[in-house]
Amino acid sequence: MAVVSTIPDSVIQSEIELTNVSMRYQASSEDLALQEVGLQIQKGEFVSLLGPSGCGKTTLLRLMADLIQPTSGTITVAGGTAREARLARKYGIVFQHPTLYDWRKVRHNVMLPLELAGMPKPLRKSRADELLELVGLSKFTDHYPWQLSGGMQQRVAIARALSMEPEILLMDEPFSALDEFARERLNEELLSIWSKVGSTVVFVTHSIPEAVFLSDRVFVLSPHPGRLSAVVDITLPRPRTADVRGSEMYFRLIAQIRDSFEGR
Amino acid sequence: MEDSIRKSIRVRKAADSLPIVVWLLAGVTIWELTSWLLVSAHVPLAQSRLPYLHRVLEAFIDYWPSLWREGRTTFANAGIGFALGGLAGAALALFMSMSRWMEQLAFPYAIASQMIPILGLAPILYGIVRDEAAARMLIAGYITFFPVALNMLRGLRSISPSALALMHAYGAGSVACYWKLRIPAALPGLFTGLKIAAPLAVTGAILVELMGAQHGVGVIMLRNLYYGPSHVYLFWSTVVLGAMLGILAYGIISAAERLLTPWQPEFRIKGGGT
Repeated sequence: MAVVSTIPDSVIQSEIELTNVSMRYQASSEDLALQEVGLQIQKGEFVSLLGPSGCGKTTLLRLMADLIQPTSGTITVAGGTAREARLARKYGIVFQHPTLYDWRKVRHNVMLPLELAGMPKPLRKSRADELLELVGLSKFTDHYPWQLSGGMQQRVAIARALSMEPEILLMDEPFSALDEFARERLNEELLSIWSKVGSTVVFVTHSIPEAVFLSDRVFVLSPHPGRLSAVVDITLPRPRTADVRGSEMYFRLIAQIRDSFEGR
Repeated sequence: MEDSIRKSIRVRKAADSLPIVVWLLAGVTIWELTSWLLVSAHVPLAQSRLPYLHRVLEAFIDYWPSLWREGRTTFANAGIGFALGGLAGAALALFMSMSRWMEQLAFPYAIASQMIPILGLAPILYGIVRDEAAARMLIAGYITFFPVALNMLRGLRSISPSALALMHAYGAGSVACYWKLRIPAALPGLFTGLKIAAPLAVTGAILVELMGAQHGVGVIMLRNLYYGPSHVYLFWSTVVLGAMLGILAYGIISAAERLLTPWQPEFRIKGGGT
């Protein structure tokens, strides 16, 4: 059974709001990637988009990032369009693969968004070094990305995404290429970083435990056509540490979300 | 830690070069033996067929001042033509990468240009410009531009969609996309093209000199060929010189590549993170 979010949308101005958003990749295709999705994400909230492959969760994230445009429906970000938000550099983005540029050393990879925004060089450098300290990579600023492990590379990508102090952090299955141990550790680190920066986070994942551990709310999507099937409030207390994974409420929430898949 | 890695790499490199030394020695021995056999068997023009290597080396040393002078001329002209051709090729690749339309317009001409035999084009060009230095540069540049354009274009096109999406998400314009992403990503391709073209540019310059120039490796090569058996060692020396210039050109570009694109997989030193 789906649990409807308890936050009334009239009280707080939403950071991201989607209304009746549908997406069809090819005009001829019958299959909708997304069908009439409507959702609101509050400022400073950590939400996950959860679902199996083909449910349109990545499509949804790319729509929010203005990397693609919806076939129909409207997307509002920070009171304007997604395009305005992108050009105002309100986004930080992390992909499944670190997507670091091989020819740039770690520090210069983190500096890239700052360069694009035209920040003066000394400022960029000190900012990049701060961020690398935040993700625990101070010792590796002058390494090339390929000298680091997959988990470290993804931490560089997170530092890069945070470099512009983005209002909104978009993460597309950032830890799915990592092993379970690295993934859990990075989940904890991500929460500690998030508590310091306070961005709104939209996190795409196909892992139910990961979504539960991280999020304030989980948007559950189902495939063919991709649509929003449930919204689950995660009432686990914060700050969350590794022990949360042993708590009864954690297991109950995981079971509840699993049921919402099977119950449809 | 990196020092010890470097040291172990040096040791490995020394071990790697051992087979090369063995091969070289074997090659020289077989060459000298064959040459000796031909002479001993009284084969007509034995030394024109396969001269003693040590006699070629002797001639090379004896005539070094003039070989050096002519070699320098050839190499300098080839170098200028190579640089211009490389620039033209890179510029063409940039244009073609900007739109399919431009690629469709320019590519057939680029291909067609490669169908013209250099052997025929060289005298035509020489007839038009009437200046051997200019003709050398033009041919060297002409040979260079195609492999450079082709390989650089491939590099410019080989950007992963997520690398581009990243640029897009950070509000980068198309100029920034070129400077910060496409051009750096295309440098390995550019160097592949340049490495293919460098020795060819030297060969092309020598070819022009065979068409009646006054200076250059090609000129002494041709003269000593005409003088026949008495100049056979010097003739072979010029061929060796031509080959050496080609190797030198390749070596210079390889060194530049290592310096400017140290991130390429083949230059990587593992170390640091675990």
